[in-house]
Amino acid sequence: MSTTTAAEKLLLQMVDDYTQKEIAPQDMPMDAAGDFPAGFMEKLTATGFLGLMLPQEFGGAGFGPEITATVLNHIARGNASTAVTLEGHFKTIDQLLKYGTPALQQQLLPTATDRIFAFSMTEASGGSNPMSISSTATREGNHWVLNGDKIMITNGGLAEVYCVLVKTAPTELSVFVVDQDMPGFSFGKREDFIGLRGTPVGEIVMDHIVVDDDHLLGNLGDGGLIGDSAHDDARVLMGAVLTGIMEHELKIATDYAKERKAGDQPLTALQVTQRKVADMAIRKETTKLLYQQAAHLKALGQPYSELAAMAKAHGSRAAVSAGDDALQILAGYGYSREYPVEHLIRDARALEIAEGTVEKMRSAIALAEFNH
Amino acid sequence: MKIIVCLKQVPETNNVTIDPITHNLDRRGLAGVMNPFDKHAIELALSLKDTADTDVTITLLTMGPDDYADSLHEGLAMGADEGVLLSDRAFAGADTLATGYVLAQAIKKIGNADLILFGRQAVDADTGQVGPIVAEFLHQPQITYAANLRLSGPNEVTAERLLEDTKQTLVAQLPAVVSVRSELNTPRYPTPRQIQLSFAKPLTVWHHDDLELDDQRLGQAGSPTIVTKVYAPAPVKRELTPLTGTPREAASQLITALKDRQLI
Amino acid sequence: MSQPELWVISERRLAHIEPTTQQLITKAKSIAGTTFKVVTILLEAPTDHLEDELTPYAPDEIRIARDERFPTATDAEQADALAQLVAAYHPNTILFGATITGRSIAPRLQAKLQTGLTADCLDLRFDDDTLVATKPSYGDNIMCEIICPDRRPQMASVRPNTFVAHPATGTPTLTAVTVTFHPVERLQITATTPVVNTATTVSDASRVIALGRGAASETTITTATQLAEKLGGRIGVSRPLTDQERFTHDDQIGQSGNTIHPELILNFGISGAVQYLVGMQTAQTIVAVNADEHAPIFDVADYGYVGDAPAFMTALLEQFN
Repeated sequence: MSTTTAAEKLLLQMVDDYTQKEIAPQDMPMDAAGDFPAGFMEKLTATGFLGLMLPQEFGGAGFGPEITATVLNHIARGNASTAVTLEGHFKTIDQLLKYGTPALQQQLLPTATDRIFAFSMTEASGGSNPMSISSTATREGNHWVLNGDKIMITNGGLAEVYCVLVKTAPTELSVFVVDQDMPGFSFGKREDFIGLRGTPVGEIVMDHIVVDDDHLLGNLGDGGLIGDSAHDDARVLMGAVLTGIMEHELKIATDYAKERKAGDQPLTALQVTQRKVADMAIRKETTKLLYQQAAHLKALGQPYSELAAMAKAHGSRAAVSAGDDALQILAGYGYSREYPVEHLIRDARALEIAEGTVEKMRSAIALAEFNH
Repeated sequence: MKIIVCLKQVPETNNVTIDPITHNLDRRGLAGVMNPFDKHAIELALSLKDTADTDVTITLLTMGPDDYADSLHEGLAMGADEGVLLSDRAFAGADTLATGYVLAQAIKKIGNADLILFGRQAVDADTGQVGPIVAEFLHQPQITYAANLRLSGPNEVTAERLLEDTKQTLVAQLPAVVSVRSELNTPRYPTPRQIQLSFAKPLTVWHHDDLELDDQRLGQAGSPTIVTKVYAPAPVKRELTPLTGTPREAASQLITALKDRQLI
Repeated sequence: MSQPELWVISERRLAHIEPTTQQLITKAKSIAGTTFKVVTILLEAPTDHLEDELTPYAPDEIRIARDERFPTATDAEQADALAQLVAAYHPNTILFGATITGRSIAPRLQAKLQTGLTADCLDLRFDDDTLVATKPSYGDNIMCEIICPDRRPQMASVRPNTFVAHPATGTPTLTAVTVTFHPVERLQITATTPVVNTATTVSDASRVIALGRGAASETTITTATQLAEKLGGRIGVSRPLTDQERFTHDDQIGQSGNTIHPELILNFGISGAVQYLVGMQTAQTIVAVNADEHAPIFDVADYGYVGDAPAFMTALLEQFN
């Protein structure tokens, strides 16, 4: 792992301070309300979080993949929804950096410090099989015309710029970029999910949106490639978010165990408590190593897809299990909605599904192993 | 307009312990952070810069070992323009008087400061003395514990100062020394981009020979006070008086007891 | 050789003497022994008679300098006047109240005199003619004993309400002294208005209602809010309650939150983990109500009730009403 630079140290200090004062206090209210509180995203934006990994030439801070993941880890200690909303934004910026034309980058990326970007693949006809989608881009004159309906988009409704996976031919997938200001663009319904309830997940409808050639990411037919790439970048960051969730769970469990007695013995002296806490710590640490290694490989320009899948596949179940252990240590309090443990389990559960189910990831990991 | 903000680096927590053998303060492993009160002074400077009609430059000044540069960087990342670190073995072991002397000499060297700002006090030593000492050495008027401050003329500030149960309004012709209360403002966070860019801002280190100094007034030699003993406060031994009976009876006993103690 | 002098600098609070001055006179008398002469310095307007509020505490002498500008004098002007008196009388020791005014003037005087000042002390004693001042540091987690061995006068400021003022027998000598008022035109106090001191944070509050896991329901918090209003206090919480929406880290008492020193703290439903106790055990009066008779909070409490905290709070509020 690389050493932390002075700037990164200062960044993490600021992130921890911001998380403790501005984000963590909203964790419970956010879960109850099912939304970010008023002014919350505005302050996050004003504090420059949206530009964290955006290169400086576009007005961002230009921090690298490793420290970016660490920042989301630290934010998720206070609240996972905030971290996931940033994850959705960052993975989209990554695809624009990898596949956008210079003209498109110059046009869009300077606005990414103030506007959230999102990446949308899923449709009602299916999420895991991209070929089943029915959104299309058809050529009309010098333009492309986009039609279709994308659902379950992370930050859908909050984001202003969307990368959309569409068919440019019956067996050809491509990715275009659309802006909420374009004629024909509208928002659909917001999902009522059981976890990560601050993060909006919603629908966009494309009704004859006309875009130029430069709004195509990569080449025609690169849709599958770019979709996979977006998954990889998301999964690295989700490993970081899951690590943060587990750190939160561990903190609640250990704080409680230190304060509480069972009969004459403190909970900390009981082997049943110790075993649970040890297992939680192992799960947290293994997830952390996986996401950090994935981010490290990404920073070095080496393949990181398999490790990113491992970080999410392992981390999501690990965080659900760690939450379950924390709940059991807190017993009645853990089962109560007055305490955050139960919603952390619901938060973690989302990441067994989003950006590829654990089942899909396991098959991807296995295929990679067969190909080694 | 030129503003100098003096700041101090302190341990990140006040949870320090005493080494049981040496009886010295054990600060090992405690990272240094900017004294939280000083951020309010920086924020005041930044808000004056944001709103003033004239150009404002903000210089951050601190005295301490090389790692105090961390706090200067944090202030630069908040938006200050330059940092000056006063670092020399000869400055070590200084109490408030010797610290105030070196800061005052450095402020003279920087020159032409209109406003010299301090946080109300440092959270570690809790003295709040250095601001007034510097003001005295510079022969400048002071406004301590300012609860708000605005530019009220080309060369004038108006401030409110909260005493225990009165509020003073003060008008000062610049230059002046001001220490600020934390109620004054909410310090901004450094943005990630400003953090990166802050490392390109000028950060100067001045050593002993860079300043005009009387060696008798430096470090330990220039410090009239000595700490002779450091210890953890013993827990107060208390005699527990039980309150008994029903909640109503117990509450009534408590009210009697609090009346006896003149607490209600 | 004449007796060395131990000075207490009087402070004005609107038309009266700030009570810390009286507390300091009592303390000064108790540590002066036969060695020191306790002298109270008073700067007042020619029409003032603030010495009347000092004589009952019986310092050996009250030295009064009068000028109509003293009631609105700035820190620098007062420090200048005091420096003239120091030059005339060479006191051994000078004590200030660690009020905002005291903590502002004392260091200016210190800088003029190039001597040592120990701030915000909790105890004072003499070792021969050297003042040993006990000063808390690191948010009162650490105590330091500080001396000023070589320079005189030696100076200290003392935290308000640390000592109790006791009227004493004896009639102080009243002496009028002359100082030259050197006005500093560049700084003017243009208004002084009384304010009601309302604590904005739990660390500033002199009375605290502290709530823990055993007093966390909606109705109990409502009761606590009403109790806090009756007592003129603030609500603080132990760590578990900071997970609730309405409470933040700023409301938390304990090692990872605020270390507080209120006159009175009522702990409801708090068991008293070590991390919590270190944050509040210096409170002057501690009351604990908890259902668990073995809860550690009772080890540091002055008054304790074993029972249901919400029921006790309701009963207490009824009796206040």
